Amino acid sequence: MYQYDVIDKEMLADRSAEFRGQVARRLSGELTEDQFKPLRLMNGLYLQLHAYMLRVAIPYGSLNPTQLRKLAWIGRTYDKGYGHFTTRTNLQFHWIKLADTPDILDHLAQVDMHAIQTSGNCIRNTTTDPYAGATAEEVDDPRVWAEAIRQWSTFHPEFSFLPRKFKIAITAAPKDRTAAKVHDIGLVLKRARDGSLGFEVIVGGGMGRTPYVGPTIKEFLPVNRLLSYLEAILRVYNRHGRRDNIYKARIKILVAALGKDEFARQVEAEWAKIGEAADLPDTELARIRGAFAAANFEVLPAQSEAFEAAKASNPAFARFVRNNLKPHKKAGYGIVEISLKGIGDTPGDATSEQMDVVADLAERYGQNDIRVTHEQNLVLPHVKLDDVPAVWAALSEAGIATPNINLVSDIIACPGLDYCALANARAIPVAQNIAAKFKDQDRAEKIGELKIKISGCINACGHHHVGHIGILGVDKKGEEFYQLTLGGSGAEDAAVGSMLGPALPYDKVADAVDTLVEVYLRERHDGERFLDTFRRTGVTPFKEAVYADAH
Amino acid sequence: MPTLIELKDGVCRGVDDPFTHVADDQDMPAGDVIVSLARFQAEGEGLLAEGRRVGVRLQSHEEAEVLAYDLPRLSVVALEFPKYRDGRAYTNGYVLSGRLKFKGQVRAVGDVLREQAGFMARVGFDAFEPADDASANEWQAAIRRYRHVYQRSADGRAPAFAERES
Amino acid sequence: MKALTANRLTDGEVVFWKSGQWVTRFADAELWADDDPAAGEAEGQGKTQPTTVVDAYLIDLVESEGLWAPLSYRERIRALGPTNHLHHGKQAEGGAVIEALQHAHGAARSTGRVNLIKRK
Repeated sequence: MYQYDVIDKEMLADRSAEFRGQVARRLSGELTEDQFKPLRLMNGLYLQLHAYMLRVAIPYGSLNPTQLRKLAWIGRTYDKGYGHFTTRTNLQFHWIKLADTPDILDHLAQVDMHAIQTSGNCIRNTTTDPYAGATAEEVDDPRVWAEAIRQWSTFHPEFSFLPRKFKIAITAAPKDRTAAKVHDIGLVLKRARDGSLGFEVIVGGGMGRTPYVGPTIKEFLPVNRLLSYLEAILRVYNRHGRRDNIYKARIKILVAALGKDEFARQVEAEWAKIGEAADLPDTELARIRGAFAAANFEVLPAQSEAFEAAKASNPAFARFVRNNLKPHKKAGYGIVEISLKGIGDTPGDATSEQMDVVADLAERYGQNDIRVTHEQNLVLPHVKLDDVPAVWAALSEAGIATPNINLVSDIIACPGLDYCALANARAIPVAQNIAAKFKDQDRAEKIGELKIKISGCINACGHHHVGHIGILGVDKKGEEFYQLTLGGSGAEDAAVGSMLGPALPYDKVADAVDTLVEVYLRERHDGERFLDTFRRTGVTPFKEAVYADAH
Repeated sequence: MPTLIELKDGVCRGVDDPFTHVADDQDMPAGDVIVSLARFQAEGEGLLAEGRRVGVRLQSHEEAEVLAYDLPRLSVVALEFPKYRDGRAYTNGYVLSGRLKFKGQVRAVGDVLREQAGFMARVGFDAFEPADDASANEWQAAIRRYRHVYQRSADGRAPAFAERES
Repeated sequence: MKALTANRLTDGEVVFWKSGQWVTRFADAELWADDDPAAGEAEGQGKTQPTTVVDAYLIDLVESEGLWAPLSYRERIRALGPTNHLHHGKQAEGGAVIEALQHAHGAARSTGRVNLIKRK
């Protein structure tokens, strides 16, 4: 993994000192709330319903055990003993005191962590494939480029006051686990016939009030030209993105207004003026690349006897393996997904004790490597099959061995009205109600892959537009109602879901999902996921079933 | 108290501003002036012929490239921040200093706060009219806050990757 | 009826106005009749305390189980705590007022909050 050197560390120390001064000026009254708000937001600090919320950056979702233990400790010391992993693969604490935040930033800096650019109209945490470096599907390791972008975008002097926030995702596998097509910029790493690496550049996807699947503006950008090309995109956006209306300020609106061809032309013209001088030197790329060199894998047989025996003798373990263990590029290894979607739990929440357990497991069995997924789960990317039974046993004891990855109860939910000052309706209890409805694991497995995503307002932090079933909380004269959409996807087959019908009251949502699933089970052909069936049949049978009572 | 902070060779100093900002509907005073782009395009030749120093004030939607051919004749380009969060002037600053190699003063005007001083200095601003009454010392501290930078910009500071190589 | 609420600057805690002081329990909050000019006066005073609280605003109340509760769902969650962790926040201490809040059925947008957003 990438190690921070003295330069990276001094950047964090300087940032922390700066924020300490700003907090002191706010507490003394030298800064008004209006002046202070943008400063605290640039450090990921929000004022939510019950307390301050601090969003800690986890660059490209990658953590080592020391860092995760520090997060656990912060949760215990400054919060209520837990943290919440987000769809940007960050972690947020929901019960933070303003006066404590300078100390918290210092503690984070001790383990090379920070809250830089986790809010504000700047370039946010770049996300990538949680299986990077572990999956055989990837053409190269995308973390190299995520780290290059982390450095380039950190305190970028020209692009820290963009029209609106800006999110970049990188995938190097055709199976997209990053939702690249619904990002401001999605980068798909590819290998050309001659063996050279390049990016397909997708710009102007997004969710929120106006969801778009982003168009491709460049089919193949040589990898070593990435930073100059990003600079060109950002410069065009910084100049021409709308600043008169917050809901029309994302780059997707600019790309849609200009048309992708005209937008691409402007980017190319700017890129030509920038030239290669703005790219990283090959020596620096090589240095970063070296930090992500392959882990020390042992040569192992493809089959593990201990693993097979445990599978044969323990149905619960076998179920975990079926759902949470993914193939690794090295024989004898597996990728273990840790679900933070226990039935009845809050999606994405982990207690400090659970974080400590995961850190221990990563240290003992997982090459010190932990990933956060945008679906709010954790991953141990390099576990020997021999060790999977022990990992499972420890996860079970900690209550985080729920065997439901990609299943109906593996739900994305934003914090919603239980915490968020922007929300119109709750999201977490809706997720809990649905998970409870599908707690029968046999039934959940029979249903197969089904992605439910819930947002408590139109800002779409819960990615509802790209849920196979999307659920959006709305406020109808003060009451919580939920709009359902079907057929969305954030993966390589990205699509924005279409509306099912009139919004439903809070207590009808889980039943409606149950009905949708029953229609799918009735209509599906062999091998079809919920999404496939919906795309084949269209909305009609689903709509008829859910609104049957209304007729 | 001086209302202008100048940055020269890494040092911030409060100075008396020799220039007068002249609005479009205002009579032209004597001496050095800063005028809008429209007024410069209409009256610039005459003003320069009178032997005075002339600056142009660009609004955030006006792009610095429009001045490309006039830059050698200009003493100041003032870039407006109508609100601190309108970041277009950073691009204008970068284009003026980094790309067009403007040798005169690049001045930040409008909602100019010391929290933004570091970013402004990096993209080539070398004069500031603070809206927050910050002193030259405070301004300097803000500019020097960070010992390192990660990316190249118009200020010529060595980015982290260059520091690592040296 | 109305009450005055805000978040405390130092820790973000939800607070309510009670005769010139900020208190943390809704049960202790000062309540005013809708036409009582004292409410507006308190709001004005609350807004002049930028180093004590952030965003003071008046909220509407509704009767619940013989007691008063915030009319909007959002304000009830603020006065109670998150519904997914019933031992977190103010609701943890329990009692008649907390229960009245939990059982309240008002339905309205948080009016004070809407005004606050409009003003900005």
